Amino acid sequence: MLKQEINELLTQTGPGTPMGDLFRQYWLPALLADELPDNDAPPVRVKLLSERLIAFRDSEGRYGLIDEFCAHRGVSLWFGRNEESGLRCAYHGWKYDVTGQCIEVPSEPDERHSSLCKKIKLKSYPLVKIGDVLWAYMGDPEKTPDLPEWEFATVPPEQTYTSKRWQECNWLQALEGGIDSSHVSWLHSGGLRDDPLFKGAQGNKYNLADRRPFFEVVEADGGLFIGARRNAEEGHYYWRITPWVMPNFTLIPPRGDYPIHGHFWVPIDDENCWTYSFDYHTVRPLTEAELQAMRDGHGVHNEYVPGTFRPLQNKDNDYMMDREAQKRGETYSGIKGIAMQDASLQESMGPIVDRTKEKLVSTDTGIIMARQKLWKAVEALRDEGVRPPGVDAEHHKVRSAAVVIPKDQAFIDASREALTVRPGVRHASV
Amino acid sequence: MAATAAEARFRIDYPDQTTRASRIIALDQQAADVVRRLSGQDWRGGRFLVFEDVLPVNGSGHDQVDATLRTADGSRTLLSKELEDADVAVAIATEHVRPEAAAVIGDACAARMIMSAGLILAGSEQPDEAVSALRPNAMVLLILQDENDIPPILTALRV
Ligand code: FES
Ligand SMILES: [Fe+2]
Repeated sequence: MLKQEINELLTQTGPGTPMGDLFRQYWLPALLADELPDNDAPPVRVKLLSERLIAFRDSEGRYGLIDEFCAHRGVSLWFGRNEESGLRCAYHGWKYDVTGQCIEVPSEPDERHSSLCKKIKLKSYPLVKIGDVLWAYMGDPEKTPDLPEWEFATVPPEQTYTSKRWQECNWLQALEGGIDSSHVSWLHSGGLRDDPLFKGAQGNKYNLADRRPFFEVVEADGGLFIGARRNAEEGHYYWRITPWVMPNFTLIPPRGDYPIHGHFWVPIDDENCWTYSFDYHTVRPLTEAELQAMRDGHGVHNEYVPGTFRPLQNKDNDYMMDREAQKRGETYSGIKGIAMQDASLQESMGPIVDRTKEKLVSTDTGIIMARQKLWKAVEALRDEGVRPPGVDAEHHKVRSAAVVIPKDQAFIDASREALTVRPGVRHASV
Repeated sequence: MAATAAEARFRIDYPDQTTRASRIIALDQQAADVVRRLSGQDWRGGRFLVFEDVLPVNGSGHDQVDATLRTADGSRTLLSKELEDADVAVAIATEHVRPEAAAVIGDACAARMIMSAGLILAGSEQPDEAVSALRPNAMVLLILQDENDIPPILTALRV
């Protein structure tokens, strides 16, 4: 249960909101690098934290993320012409560079032209490519943090794959699914048996043999580690450890030699978010079969309505519910695929779930603690200007792990190395 | 169909038929101080207790051991009695916990199928012993750096 005010505080991320200010401390995924594949590629509309922006890549390959609307009379620059090192409005030809600076007002006489230009600048944010993602920083330029160092974005390109999908609910609801380890035994039980990106791992047998894990939640510099343990061989537990780095990054514990999966949950506005889903291997290239499975929408990925980032299974077609598959025991919920199993249920709660009506139980403690940490970070930032956890790039260097350790050992001690990025060292996974 | 925004804001309102019976039990002296501070606040029926001693009793099964506890007003009570109608037990411990205290509470909850959680306050030292004492018996263990996190957690659990 959460008080109404706190539910509103944590879910509203527009300009000037306390949670919005918190999000504006971080480099956030703004779009996939593939969306701007070439210099002078068509501009892309980007809505982030309730702000409507336009992303483009100019003739020199510089990336820009600027106000979507022309300073002259408010036309959308999505209709603009991306040419000769700038984006030109289609209405009267005003032209902007990647910083939002107006560089041409062709309708004005030459003498007036340059002085007018100088005074016109659209709001803009830095946009940089790291890995397969273009990252934006929407906060105070004076406080720009170091660039992100997430392992999925910094391993060689052949070791990583990222997709994104539009999710029609508030970011927090989606994030909470990412740290809710207790749903895996139920909702995703089918996937452990037959998904090409999970099946056959040694660890799966512990999962399927013991559906009621016990949990340990430990605070980390950047957020939390949530450990779920199940019985393994005599005297040992099988631990699946999920890191959450504030505010919106989670990793899924790996299985066998499969890649590590993870997510970023980025607010579009208060009722929609982008779910970025990635897979990376710590030491080897992804295989062609793995890449194909990802492109086909297996694992944490999904299929799309062609030409969009909207999942093919969506709320307008009831996620292609298959009651027969459910009866046959192939899927627990009747929905195909891990990603859409999660999204369907999270969207079903409504755009912003009413958390005053929840009945949380002890296995929800990870979620409770995450909310508490977000709330504390928001207050510390608002009242004392404290830089929140997860901004420092050192906090990005975490891994998830799946390990078997003696029963009397704390996972956080036994797995300290396993939970830290060690370049060139394989991730800990059974 | 997913709920609309308006529907998500409006849920049928009904009173909680049964208030949840929560028992918050401090397992050591430092934890007792925390529990004493907590017990002064406004709760939804949760009872705040302090572990005192293990009490061997005759019999078999989960009746074999019991424990004496102190209530917030200082009177003595029995663990077995407190758990009779409990829905959830939250143990609070620090690095100074006696392992047998954790074991007795954990066993008693497990035998009665009562949901149990352990909150461990990390002090100057890593509370390793407390964690391994509580681990076998608590469905959830939370290791906390800040005592101020406890009230919101208990509120979320409807204590
Ligand atoms: S509205 Fe853009 S140039 Fe006039
Ligand atoms: Fe899930």
